[in-house]
Amino acid sequence: MIGFLLSRLLVIPALVSALVACASDVPETNAGRLVDDNGRSVDLSRPVTRIVSLAPSVTEILFDLGVGDRVVGRTRWCDAPPEALEVTSVGDGLEPNVEVILGQQPDLVVFYSAVSNEPAIAQIESLGISTLSVRTDRLADLERATRLLGRFTGTTERADSLIAELEVDLAQLEESRPRDSIPHVLILAWDNPPIVIGEASFLHEIVELAGARNVFEDVDRPSLRVSIEAIVERDPDLVLVTADSALTNRVDRAEWRAVPAIRDQRFFMVVGNEYSRPSFRAPSAIRRLRSALEEWR
Amino acid sequence: MGRWFVLGTLATLAIAVGLIVGPAELSLARVWGALTGSENASAAAIVLDLRLPRALLAFLVGGSLAVTGAALQALVRNPLADPYLLGLSGGAGLGAVAAIVLEFGSSWSVPIAALAGALLAIVLVYRLAIVSGSVLDARILLLAGVVVGAFASSLMGAIIALSPAQQVRNAFLWILGGFDAASWQALTVFAVYAVIPLGVIYRYNRPLDLMALGEEPAQFLGADIERLKRILYVSASLLTAAAVSVSGVIGFVGLVVPHAIRLVWGHLHRSLLPAAFLLGGTLLVTADAIARTAFAPLTLPVGVVTALIGVPVFVVLVRKWAT
Repeated sequence: MIGFLLSRLLVIPALVSALVACASDVPETNAGRLVDDNGRSVDLSRPVTRIVSLAPSVTEILFDLGVGDRVVGRTRWCDAPPEALEVTSVGDGLEPNVEVILGQQPDLVVFYSAVSNEPAIAQIESLGISTLSVRTDRLADLERATRLLGRFTGTTERADSLIAELEVDLAQLEESRPRDSIPHVLILAWDNPPIVIGEASFLHEIVELAGARNVFEDVDRPSLRVSIEAIVERDPDLVLVTADSALTNRVDRAEWRAVPAIRDQRFFMVVGNEYSRPSFRAPSAIRRLRSALEEWR
Repeated sequence: MGRWFVLGTLATLAIAVGLIVGPAELSLARVWGALTGSENASAAAIVLDLRLPRALLAFLVGGSLAVTGAALQALVRNPLADPYLLGLSGGAGLGAVAAIVLEFGSSWSVPIAALAGALLAIVLVYRLAIVSGSVLDARILLLAGVVVGAFASSLMGAIIALSPAQQVRNAFLWILGGFDAASWQALTVFAVYAVIPLGVIYRYNRPLDLMALGEEPAQFLGADIERLKRILYVSASLLTAAAVSVSGVIGFVGLVVPHAIRLVWGHLHRSLLPAAFLLGGTLLVTADAIARTAFAPLTLPVGVVTALIGVPVFVVLVRKWAT
């Protein structure tokens, strides 16, 4: 049984990352149809008034597009914006409960782009309900996801202005990025076994744009299991943890004292769900992290 | 004599390799410098605080699992018996997953919860297996182990199904086993604890010989066979529970190492048990060194590596010695 569950768990991130493509424009096959992030051709002609969103980032984008009132279902992890909490939860976003989704009588169900969702997508499509698969792992995915959702909900103008604003913000942040005395940061996700954040992740992007360097930036993965020794070798100046992980309490064991930054309690805690997924709040998240890093310097 | 020399040399070499290799590249001279106190703080921390306790803990856990496996195989007279068979991995896994999902925020909560889960499983299996007064029936012991293990695994499955994906992944990686939590502290606690059950199992090596042959030959021993069975079962289980709590569930070592020793060495537990201890320790230290370095900075679960190197070695042994 362990093997079965494990294969499900480990295969998902691998397949998701395998699906990552670089295109940022929304490819159009012909008039009135689009291709989503699962490569599925979707029909734009039907009106969309009742949306079930199965990814926290999608829920947030829909509210940002001004169509939050059309969201009739969300996952239990959708906690932004605060108004989203008033929407009925349909449970988990990955391998969701199709019956519960249908109970909300949606005309569009937005999935997170993962192979494990394919059976649910097929079931819902077979009932004549539109689906859309969107990948939202990194900042670069935000533009594409927003355009797709904008096209679907008839809010392309709002989508364009959100994206334009984001691009200006990010360009400005990139330009003003500190160039010297850059702190080397370990982004720690778990203690036993030690799991750290690699280059292919949203937190990595945030940290680098804030003017720090991820000590595992050379590993092209969202996260990786490492040994403490590998962390000692990379000798981080700071250890960044998310507030909800309680990791600062968990790395008080003797073996972690081999890492100077942990022995000296050089922890850096980021608070808020804007650090857990790409959203239009990313620029303000980056600014907050940057000014906190300034203080540390 | 020659065989002991070979095993001893292999064990020493394995521990030396555990000290020398790792994701941080340190030359032989620097490793030696760290051991003799003439290296900088970073190299000293890597060699003395990370690699050395890790290699020693892996050796001790590997040896303990192999001894436990050998004892249980004789006790239940079943070549498929391994340390986790008797519901222990299920119980320990349930404890660990519960601790992770319930977010007990302490660094010791997972090992302690795993130990508690394993002990609970032991008590349950023991209660189920004691039939008609005080007789520990080997067949019922096996069944009880499987049943308790299945129940614990199902509870674990339910908890996992209801938890966030990230936590589930963390819990699974912990169960899969590894020595990332090795420290002098953990090593000392485990060593002090393990000495007693290891000593007890070794002390009863002669009854184990007879039990392996069957219950009737064992009766000729004159000793209280039922009492011995209970003592051996409890010792083996307590040892495995401790191993799980410091390193998760590491398969293969306890199952196959005793068979490998029996193939080349014979069935007498007086030499089988210490030989299994040395070979189990050697295998696990080597596997851990490979797990840490093969794809550095990424690490593999050590249980994956034990099987990957253990199976080919075992196949060669079977082809060569089993006739």
